Amino acid sequence: MQENYLAKWLNGELSEEELAKFKSSEEYASYEKLERISSSLRAPEFDVESELEKLKKDHIAEPDKVRPLQPYGKFLRIAAAILVLIAGSYFYLNLSKTSYSSPLAERTEAILPDNSEVFLNAGSKISFSKKNWENKREIDLEGEAFFKVAKGKKFTVSTSQGIVSVLGTQFNVEDRKDFFEVSCYEGLVQVQFQDIEKQLPAGTSFLVIDGRVVESSDPTTLEPSWIKLESSFKGIPLRYVLRELERQYDISVETKNVDTRLLFTGSFSNTDLKMALKSIATPSRIQFKTEGDNVLFYVEDTLQ
Amino acid sequence: MDNVCEDQVYSSVFRANSKTLFNFIYYKFGNEEKAHDAVQEAFVKLWENCGKVSPEKAKSYLYTVANNTYLNVIKAEKVRLKYAEPTLERSNESPEFLLEEKEYKEKLDNALNHLPENQRTTFLLNRIDGKKYAEIAEMEGVSVKAIEKRMHLALKFLRERIDGI
Repeated sequence: MQENYLAKWLNGELSEEELAKFKSSEEYASYEKLERISSSLRAPEFDVESELEKLKKDHIAEPDKVRPLQPYGKFLRIAAAILVLIAGSYFYLNLSKTSYSSPLAERTEAILPDNSEVFLNAGSKISFSKKNWENKREIDLEGEAFFKVAKGKKFTVSTSQGIVSVLGTQFNVEDRKDFFEVSCYEGLVQVQFQDIEKQLPAGTSFLVIDGRVVESSDPTTLEPSWIKLESSFKGIPLRYVLRELERQYDISVETKNVDTRLLFTGSFSNTDLKMALKSIATPSRIQFKTEGDNVLFYVEDTLQ
Repeated sequence: MDNVCEDQVYSSVFRANSKTLFNFIYYKFGNEEKAHDAVQEAFVKLWENCGKVSPEKAKSYLYTVANNTYLNVIKAEKVRLKYAEPTLERSNESPEFLLEEKEYKEKLDNALNHLPENQRTTFLLNRIDGKKYAEIAEMEGVSVKAIEKRMHLALKFLRERIDGI
């Protein structure tokens, strides 16, 4: 529910979805009654004409006052008002951005003004200007998101590392520290990374690790695995796998004697931590210990 | 151009604003007599400054005066609001229903008296005077968002108090 939803409800500003949700809540009947009965409240009598008469008789005797001359007063007032209006609308149009984010260990779904869908993976954020959406479909992304874009004008996703633009398609963008991956699931996606421009047809990926373009395996599914609450990797250095684990469970992961540059292929559950830990540790031949929100992956140094 | 010093303009400003200004002060402090006085005083001030206040600015001027000068004096007094019984248009309701409505209204009056002053004012200006959030924001000199927050909290408080949560 949006902020101050009770005020929005009273003013008829809730979306259909929110309204349905509110109506199904336990307290809705109480609020509905409050709304109905409070609309029958009355303020005390106030007779405008007799109050005006009283005011004039008691306080206002002679209306012949001397008025100061202000030849430029009006002009300056209007000029100032126009200035404020221009400045105000400039900021309003340019800075009023809508944003959605999903915290660690959670996923969020957002519908854009043209009914394009965005699924946000854990620890991710998008923002865009609703006002100008029809003319400019542009989104800023931090983190990872899967887009199902409705057909229309050019749709652009800007990240700290690269820019992805399409016309209408389904694709996943992951922009994490030292890690940037775009996978196209339908249609055609254009990726711009530094001075490289690449066209990605459906079923292909583009991967950059530590600033270098890396040969990546192509997606074989119809949507990224995290949509189905699983994180999958094909030949990805272990340390990026562990960072994803931290985001999915909002935990902190440390390693001891583990070479995190080794490539990992496999997947882990985003809902069952114990299973996930085993899924990472077993194929990597490492052990793990947990303590509260901390996980330690380690290799017994018995061979030394 | 129109000027508040002209009797016709001044009177029309009074007709347009006095009733709501009266309610505004009444909702805050629940004292009818002082609300009458406050309206008179605000309009006297407006008359004294009619050369400096344009008709468009008169409304916000009145609320500023009412907020600044008068309200501080009566702030300390205890709130006792009473809302005139609405005339019952439907006479075919059962006695049980009418009794229940009456009891609910008593609870509502009571809960309203315990609301923080700014939430009560926002709630009643909207419910009784049908004022939009933007208009209330102008009267109180705060943002629309602040008014929405007050409204939200007011509804939550009233509902919890009435339901005895």
